[in-house]
Amino acid sequence: MAQRWQPDFLQLVDEHQSMVFSLAWRMTGDRGLAEEVAQDVFLELDRHMERLESPEHALNWLRRVAVSRSTDSLRRRRVRGVDLWVEIDEKHGSPAEERQSPLETRLEQLLSTLPEAQRAALVLRYQEDMTPEEIAASMDAPLATVKSNLHRGLKLLRAKATTHLKEYVRGL
Amino acid sequence: MDFEWTDQRDKGTGSEQDREFERELKQAMERRPAPPNLKRRIMQKRSARRTEQHHTSKIWWQRLAASLLVGAVVAGGFGWRQMEERRRGEEAKQQVLTALRITNQVLNNMNRKLAEHDRSDNGK
Repeated sequence: MAQRWQPDFLQLVDEHQSMVFSLAWRMTGDRGLAEEVAQDVFLELDRHMERLESPEHALNWLRRVAVSRSTDSLRRRRVRGVDLWVEIDEKHGSPAEERQSPLETRLEQLLSTLPEAQRAALVLRYQEDMTPEEIAASMDAPLATVKSNLHRGLKLLRAKATTHLKEYVRGL
Repeated sequence: MDFEWTDQRDKGTGSEQDREFERELKQAMERRPAPPNLKRRIMQKRSARRTEQHHTSKIWWQRLAASLLVGAVVAGGFGWRQMEERRRGEEAKQQVLTALRITNQVLNNMNRKLAEHDRSDNGK
């Protein structure tokens, strides 16, 4: 009989904190909020530990919950009436992003302006390097919807980039 | 506009510009390192939550024990009251029976005296 996988919470935090934090940051566009989301995701993981079946299951679970908690926190913020986009404008200029090229920073800014479903699909596709099939399975969404979100998201992002980043995309 | 992520058969059909844009996007979206204190904060919150859970479950046990104690006291009081009422009823019943016995005895005595009186009158 195959032995049941015994997850180690500390090891899971070590392995996936960067992934969860990055997903949350790109979904919320706010470093502080992303930290809160990442903490909540791992605390929920702690409550969910006995239901995890394999390392892959844990990874997919973390991705799905990180995306969904980020979306929830954005909605809660909107309900509270915080002007998120003004905050993002301020925060993207912070020194933490200095290591990024201006084009990368601007692309991330533009990404923050996409609808949530498209943003989630793009982040999972390009940050996590997941295929549309994997995204669909992980997010429990129809493949056609995921492909449509990816296509529309890329198209919209490209259009925004062309408009806003003429100086950078001239060579593209 | 066609992008790399689409089905295998579509691969390579996108323009060079599309592929270049996707490459830029991939580069821009590399994972960021987590803040150095994130793990410590998670562990702190986890430990605080576990302490709170322990405290909450302790409070629930205390509440349960207190409820059981109150229930036992109320049930005991109710039982004692019922027993007391039954005892008083029994006492009252005994008193009535005693009174009836005394009355019966008095009536018997009177009957006996009347009968003796009648006999003495007839003898004269």
